[in-house]
Amino acid sequence: MTDKIFNKKDWFDTLKGLRNSYRIFVPVREGDFHNFRSLEDETIPNFDFFNTRLSPKSVVYPQSERMLECLNDTESPEHGVLKEAAKDYSQQAIIGIRPCDAQAFQIVKRNFDNPDYRDPLWVQRFESTILVGMGCNAPCPTCFCSSVGGGPFSEEYLDAIIFDLQGRYLIKGLTERGNEIISNMQGGTPADVKVIDESKAIAALANERVTSTVPSDKLTEKSVTGLFGAPFWEDVAFSCINCGTCTFLCPTCWCFDIQDETCGKQVDRVRNWDTCMSPLFTLEGSGHNPREKKFQRVRQRFMHKLKYYPDKFKSGVQCSGCGRCVRYCPVNIDIRRVAAMMNEY
Amino acid sequence: MQEYTEKIRETAKRLLTEGKVDVFIGYRKGTVPMMCEPVLISDPDKTGLLHWDSNCALNLCNYLTKRTDRIGIIANGCNSRNIVTHIIENQIKREQLYILGIPCTGMIDPRAVKRVVKFREIHGVEEKDGRFIVKGDGFEEAFDKKELLQKNCATCLHRNPVLYDELLGDKVPEQDGIEPFRDVKKIEAMGSDDKWGFFTRMISSCIRCYACRNACPLCYCTTCFVDEAQPQWVGKSTDPTDTMTFHILRAFHCAGRCTDCGACERACPMGINVRQFTKKLNKDALELFGWEAGLNDGQRPPLDVYKTDDNNDFIR
Amino acid sequence: MDEWQPKITTFLCNWCSYGAADLAGVSRFQYPPFFRIIRVPCSARVSPKFILAALRHGADGVWISGCHPGDCHYLEGNYYARRKFAMLKGLLEHIGIEPGRVSFSWISSAEATKFAETAKIVADEIKALGPAKHFIKKRAEVA
Repeated sequence: MTDKIFNKKDWFDTLKGLRNSYRIFVPVREGDFHNFRSLEDETIPNFDFFNTRLSPKSVVYPQSERMLECLNDTESPEHGVLKEAAKDYSQQAIIGIRPCDAQAFQIVKRNFDNPDYRDPLWVQRFESTILVGMGCNAPCPTCFCSSVGGGPFSEEYLDAIIFDLQGRYLIKGLTERGNEIISNMQGGTPADVKVIDESKAIAALANERVTSTVPSDKLTEKSVTGLFGAPFWEDVAFSCINCGTCTFLCPTCWCFDIQDETCGKQVDRVRNWDTCMSPLFTLEGSGHNPREKKFQRVRQRFMHKLKYYPDKFKSGVQCSGCGRCVRYCPVNIDIRRVAAMMNEY
Repeated sequence: MQEYTEKIRETAKRLLTEGKVDVFIGYRKGTVPMMCEPVLISDPDKTGLLHWDSNCALNLCNYLTKRTDRIGIIANGCNSRNIVTHIIENQIKREQLYILGIPCTGMIDPRAVKRVVKFREIHGVEEKDGRFIVKGDGFEEAFDKKELLQKNCATCLHRNPVLYDELLGDKVPEQDGIEPFRDVKKIEAMGSDDKWGFFTRMISSCIRCYACRNACPLCYCTTCFVDEAQPQWVGKSTDPTDTMTFHILRAFHCAGRCTDCGACERACPMGINVRQFTKKLNKDALELFGWEAGLNDGQRPPLDVYKTDDNNDFIR
Repeated sequence: MDEWQPKITTFLCNWCSYGAADLAGVSRFQYPPFFRIIRVPCSARVSPKFILAALRHGADGVWISGCHPGDCHYLEGNYYARRKFAMLKGLLEHIGIEPGRVSFSWISSAEATKFAETAKIVADEIKALGPAKHFIKKRAEVA
């Protein structure tokens, strides 16, 4: 089998070696928190983290991305010809992604890659991304992955999984691509039964620690219009300040806005993440805004995540339990509390 | 500071039962450590939800803008100054408000707490006899408030509310020996290139979520300049020049109006010290025009008035 | 000519400073040709948005000129403008825009000589600072 053990002190060399065949993304310490960054010569990987502040969705789906470009130059033969911006879709791997964030990619994939519609930028980028996950030895009190179809050591959405065993890592291949990347990792030794048992014990302990839940079992049975007209939305929405924190930090949020920017004769069509919490999100050209009031927008977000998405795709809620919105919402609006209210209504 | 919780609950219940106010705006205890959630209560029986501690750092004045009902609200020093500014700027009428003044000894900064326990996972922070007990996964440590104070609270010179209908406790002595603009002076001493480097690095992690703008009670424009399209003053992407434009123009819109409540820094999910922009403007407003926002409901703010002998040295 | 020529976006109030510029032209006073003049009704019309927009578009300098305090055609505009410019100048210099890039003057419509002289001073100051380095919006720096 391909499973390997790596000593932590040799780990960075192993990662650097992988750069010969892949573009590698690793967690990096930036001030008070971590983010996934491309591993360059001066990059110092840092795996001493619970989870990154921003989710790794930006590795597949950057916050601001040039989609198309064209020249606004009547003297050029290319005037007005829209061209796809050059992209590099060579193989890349996210090392250390948590299972919740990996599950989030599958949740988003249902929207961006289905028979009705395929987002070419997202799909090409995702298909060239290998997910080498790292299980969570110590899930946080705000984690609720287990109640939304995942778990701290869930293997379902990963190509390979890393077990953090004190001074060593055990890496287990889960798919063909996962096995291939492991075989490209220099410096490891084959895994033995003892280490594998150790890893199972750690995973079992971690699973017990996830006690936070998002109750969602009754949501698909409920009537959409009933939940829509529920009386608690004004209360839930009062404190919301309509920023984009929850949407931008969330690994399963996918909305975007497209803008044309000009610089001299160069025109760029740029795609930026957008947030449904912004009053302008639904502002129509006529001036009418169906979600003019704050409670309508807040209601929309929770209905989308916990009702419309499960109703449409029949594969669970649009949430992977990473807990970022719970931890970083400036006013502490808690999706766990709202889900319970919706589930019990 | 928790002793105020009971008083707030009693007073809110009384005000609502007697019909003196239609709604009461306060805080409820958060679901995660070191957080409180702003809450609106209209049922006197629900006033038990109200809570006050050293984590009530979001500015409640943000929720007053253009309301038409009669509102009971709690306000410490900085929040009460923002209420004064709101009244001056016609965003709310004084007659609509019943203000419970709270002399405040400052809020703790969750980032400072996380740093001081070296980023181990925190399960709860308890305030007891002036000490803060931080409990987490296999640890429990206690700290003094001054080690954990939010940066703006550490340099606060107006801890007591300036406008209130009822004061819920004895006034606290104002801090002395404070140099409120020390960090501004440090930057002023740098060369232009170093200054640019400092600010560019500071906002490099900005994700344009606008939490800072939305948490600020001063930012109540129905159409913010970032959303103006004809012409478009600032782009919507994470381009560094656009991000810098957003921050300095937003800060300038708060020139002479900012009370340094710290809600912007508190709200930022990326921990950016956005007060570095407004602090410079606050220093200039004080030194050039002798002005501190929200202390006097009879005077117009500095950019709204002029003196014929204003400083002219910088003009040829 | 290979030598770099600065671009200085200039806002002149219609009643005084624009008149001074006009008179300087009619009187054939020489001053450097680097100024791109925008006529505004009053110096108070100049919003910080305009100054930032000029810098974003690559202006090496921005010069705003209006009526002398007390002589504003709209009576008080330049008084308000003076306070606004004082605070904006402080903030811009604080974030690292070099002192001298953004400058201000009061020039009345009769002061054509002052206009030409101030223009030379502003041009020299900006030439000494060199081309603008910060705050220029080029193609969006995005993925």
